[in-house]
Amino acid sequence: MRTTKNYIIRTEKISKIYRSGSMQTKALNNVSVNVESGEFLMITGRNGSGKSTLLHQLALLDYPDSGEVYIEGKKTTHLSEKKRMHFRLSKLGYIFQEYALIAEMTVLENVMLPAMMLESSKKAKKRAIEMLNKIGLHNKFDRLPSQLSGGEQQKVAIARALINRPKIIFADEPTANLDTIASKEVLSIFKFLNEKEGITIAMITHEPEELVYASRIIHLSDGRIA
Amino acid sequence: MRQLGLPFYLALQYIRRGRKWTLLLTIVLMTVAFVNLIFVPSLFNGIIDGANKQIINTMTGDIYITPADGNDYINQKDQVLSQLNTVDAVQATSARTLVPARLKYKNIAGSWQVLAINPDDEKEVSNISQKIISGSYLDANDVDRIVIGRQIAGGNDVEENAFSFRDAKVGDKVTLVFDGTSKVFTIKGIFNSNFVESDKRAFITENSLKEIIPYATDKATTINIKIDQTANQNEVIEDIKQKNIDGQVYPWQESTGLMKSVSSSFLSINVLLSFTSVLIAAVTIVIIIYVTIINKRKDIGILRAIGIKPYIIVSSYVILSAVYAFMGVVVGTVLFLTIIMPYFQIHPFVLPICNAVLVLSWSDYVARAEAIIWISVFAGYIPAVIVTRTKMMAAILGR
Repeated sequence: MRTTKNYIIRTEKISKIYRSGSMQTKALNNVSVNVESGEFLMITGRNGSGKSTLLHQLALLDYPDSGEVYIEGKKTTHLSEKKRMHFRLSKLGYIFQEYALIAEMTVLENVMLPAMMLESSKKAKKRAIEMLNKIGLHNKFDRLPSQLSGGEQQKVAIARALINRPKIIFADEPTANLDTIASKEVLSIFKFLNEKEGITIAMITHEPEELVYASRIIHLSDGRIA
Repeated sequence: MRQLGLPFYLALQYIRRGRKWTLLLTIVLMTVAFVNLIFVPSLFNGIIDGANKQIINTMTGDIYITPADGNDYINQKDQVLSQLNTVDAVQATSARTLVPARLKYKNIAGSWQVLAINPDDEKEVSNISQKIISGSYLDANDVDRIVIGRQIAGGNDVEENAFSFRDAKVGDKVTLVFDGTSKVFTIKGIFNSNFVESDKRAFITENSLKEIIPYATDKATTINIKIDQTANQNEVIEDIKQKNIDGQVYPWQESTGLMKSVSSSFLSINVLLSFTSVLIAAVTIVIIIYVTIINKRKDIGILRAIGIKPYIIVSSYVILSAVYAFMGVVVGTVLFLTIIMPYFQIHPFVLPICNAVLVLSWSDYVARAEAIIWISVFAGYIPAVIVTRTKMMAAILGR
């Protein structure tokens, strides 16, 4: 039997309600999820089932209305934004469906930006170059995001998420805007990171064929784990 | 400490790689706001400065001397002039003697100031000789010749035509009526100094005065003094007083009369308009920066999501705003100094008191440049703080 110490992420009955005027939508309803270190967790479900909302809570991008999120055993819900940000910066990496790159920055600058929060720009640049080489973007350092394909942009987003050596990567439908070849490339990178570097991955997908990469799958329906 | 450079880095990237037209438009708006801020005080400074110069150059000189209390004249004026010319900073002196007479032209008569002068001395102190619009200025040997101001000569385009000779011309005869007798003078020249008060005067030579009022010889009602422009006016006045001259010494500022209240009113209007200009500039800048930052809401959300601290994000937009403002100030200054000021130097505002050009006071300039920059910093800070406090996902997803 596992103890809570083995879970890199653990949620305890988290709920989230979105309000719009008098309308209320319960996006998450008492969801409890445990993620072990080194897992490749895939989250599936219909549109509006609460997948992205759950991922936002796990990645500390949003606050649940009730319940608790533990990262490496530490309660995070009532932490100050400053501490939550430090978690995001040093332990978590997040990959958005639409890449979320800064349009005015080159590939290299986008990747080195989070590292500049923790170390000198010289060191950040060196590591960003290493990261981009590793991910296959060695000749695109000075390109702006608008000069890249969707697959390349997503690779930049992955490199940025990895630059501070996170323990967990969250990816919200990272292949949704990519063609088949680019999707396979992205998933291969995830598989490599998970298997060779031991990074825990929590990823949302709609694609059944991608589920083969997962070590565990959870299905959400109407804000609950089905 | 290593994060201190990050706001500058972010701001630099926005400027380098942001939309060039947006950057250009923002700088243009900042420039317009800044030029608007410095134009109004420069214009008022120009009017006040122009009016003051008119007083100095046509009425009083830098310093003037009037008769001692109880006297009608400064006696032994030639000796007084000699004494004054020994004062280091005194560059030129000119004695004027008020002729107690009325001027008559055809059937029109009026009590204008008629002053007897030494034309050679007067040319050194006053610029009336350069303002002749018809005929010529007096020569020292002239007798029975008179130079009159435009407001006396009159004409359809003259401000006080109704009270003038209504279009007297050079060569026409005017009669000087005094002490029950009269003498006919020929108009030798008409001057227009663009200062109504000055243009309501007429000049004859000391030689003419000797003929009509012999007792006024070697007497003056005022002595105008031009001093070295680098000299301290008060010190020169003290030096003159040391000479025990038969008269009272005043700086030109003591003779501003009506212009004193006009200048004072201009200063009040200037303060009011400056306040309004600052307010308009502030609203304009706040809108520009607010729109810029709101358009960056998603980027700000992303930066927060990847772990960039809010104070770094806010600082980057504050720096960006300050840079916009600084560029506006620089471009505005270049535009003002190289195009706007020279244009109005060539095409001044023609006013009844002077031809006003723009005069930029550096204290006004610095105050307004600081105002623009501080307003921009404020305008950058507030929306950036608001956006960094909105829910992160709402900012990223544009909800």
